[in-house]
Amino acid sequence: MKQALLRLLVLRKLGYKGSRAAKKRILFNLILITLVVSALVFAQVFVVSMSRGIADKYALLGNGHLQIHEGSMLAVPEKEGVLDIQLVAQSYALIYSPEGNKMVRLKGVEAEYFNDLRTSQITLQEGIPKESTTLEQVLLSTTLARELQVGIGDRVALMLVGESGIRPQFCVVGNLYDSGYQELDANLAFCDYDLIHRLFKGSEETYYELLVEPERIESLKQDYKVEGYTVTSWDEENFTIATNLNTSRQAVLGVMVAVAMLCGYFISELSRELVEDDKHQIAMLTLLGARHSLVRSVYFYTVMMVTVLSILGGTLLGILMSSNLSPILSMVADRSIPSLSYYLLEFNVVYPLGDILFIVLVLLLVSVLSVQFSLRRVKRIEPLSCTHFD
Amino acid sequence: MMKSTEVLTLEQVSKSFPATLRGGEPIQILEGVTLSLNRSTSIAITGRSGSGKSTLLQVSAGLLSADSGSIRFEGKEIPKLDDEHLSRLRSRSMGFIFQSSLLLDDFTALENVQISAMIAGFSEKEASRKALEMLELVGMQDRLSHTSDQLSGGERQRVAIARALVNEPSLIFADEPTGSLDERNAALVEDLLFSLVAEREVALMLITHNLPFAKRCNTVYQLHNRIVEVRS
Repeated sequence: MKQALLRLLVLRKLGYKGSRAAKKRILFNLILITLVVSALVFAQVFVVSMSRGIADKYALLGNGHLQIHEGSMLAVPEKEGVLDIQLVAQSYALIYSPEGNKMVRLKGVEAEYFNDLRTSQITLQEGIPKESTTLEQVLLSTTLARELQVGIGDRVALMLVGESGIRPQFCVVGNLYDSGYQELDANLAFCDYDLIHRLFKGSEETYYELLVEPERIESLKQDYKVEGYTVTSWDEENFTIATNLNTSRQAVLGVMVAVAMLCGYFISELSRELVEDDKHQIAMLTLLGARHSLVRSVYFYTVMMVTVLSILGGTLLGILMSSNLSPILSMVADRSIPSLSYYLLEFNVVYPLGDILFIVLVLLLVSVLSVQFSLRRVKRIEPLSCTHFD
Repeated sequence: MMKSTEVLTLEQVSKSFPATLRGGEPIQILEGVTLSLNRSTSIAITGRSGSGKSTLLQVSAGLLSADSGSIRFEGKEIPKLDDEHLSRLRSRSMGFIFQSSLLLDDFTALENVQISAMIAGFSEKEASRKALEMLELVGMQDRLSHTSDQLSGGERQRVAIARALVNEPSLIFADEPTGSLDERNAALVEDLLFSLVAEREVALMLITHNLPFAKRCNTVYQLHNRIVEVRS
């Protein structure tokens, strides 16, 4: 019986058969909360997708998901979940062009290194054929080439520090790549695996780079460790970057949660406004014998219906906006806006359902608490006060 | 089971209000008021404006607390009832009619009466049936789906009477129910109120300064100088 009464009163508060003003107020709040939630969801999807995109660049081009540091001394067994194993040599060198110089990380890799997984992360230009020059070729990023003011086919010198002093090694820029993340590109150059050995004569670091299924990184790392290998993961090799990405993600989540809390508080303002405007009706209902708990329930369910509908709508809208993010970002990336140069603008969109759920739950929880708190005022409305409106 | 005949009893009831917000001597409104009201009887309280007639009604209905004295409604001490019991009593045993009809704005005439029955615990269907029946009795069957702002003053007051009677209460508290109506409508509402009260064996406490209206009650009290006395 009380449920039927509750349903009747809640529907009327929601604007069903209600006045135009009541409908407008509910609609205004519904739209406002939906927009806030959609912005929260969109921002979270954007930040998480971008940081995962950056992590992927570091894992696929920088160090691989896992590194086994026995060099070429041992053969690394393949395991389920391992997608690719490459022997890599690396060192640091100063790279010179007539216009500039830069300290870079030089990676010596085999021809098979740039498989489909890695080429999916970069854009490669039309390079020069290997046999077109007797000089060794290096693969530079477009960012680095811009800094050094060189292009494909231009000469650069690698300054190598050895026991006999510093000596230059002339090379030609064989091709240019672009991973889309200039922070990584600016310091990473590739050359042949054999060239590194010849140039550095054993002072280089040699290790195996493993690409694995992302969800199996930890288990495979443990498996290799158990077998006696010295294994590190990409986040250990790039500790600062991994920590920064993680901290940024958590900080943004924190900000989103704070905004969700503010939004929850705003929702309680809706209940305050409804009660304030309906004082006469509330007094009337209590005069007719309705208990304060029933009246509170009416306003609580009304506001929570608006909240839940807004959250659902906002989440869907946020996801919908995120799903159309890639073409917009590609367009922005193509414009090479300098202020965005240190942001990754091309990445796959991932939906952090856990984070979204967390934000939504915080918003719901804060709304429930603040609305309940705000509805204490219902008890202060005396039945007699309806006669004051005569 | 037969319902007890005694509906309302006031014994030595006093009520005062603080003089100003800053305190000072309280203003005494009622002093040692004693009266009783049985089922199927009606009393009218008359007096000058500001004499405390409405306060007496509000204290009797538990809408205001008394400073001292005893107020029993169907044998229950009203000041001792908690919110739940007082709400139940208001919904099932009391009916209210005020000068202004005080209908719920966004609701139709039918819904206004139906909600009162639903608050009293009737199912939606039963409440609707009872509301329809009551609105037919007050001649409002053609205005069921009209909202408050689509009804005239007299029509709103007839809906208020239907709402006050829908739960078959023991007592109707009516505070100047015809005060804002023209002569024709006032006479219509008066007739309706007395015929329904008599037909349904309900007690009536009527507050009015309209003497001919008051004289239709079984007993007429005069509130003068804080004291209630039977008007001769």
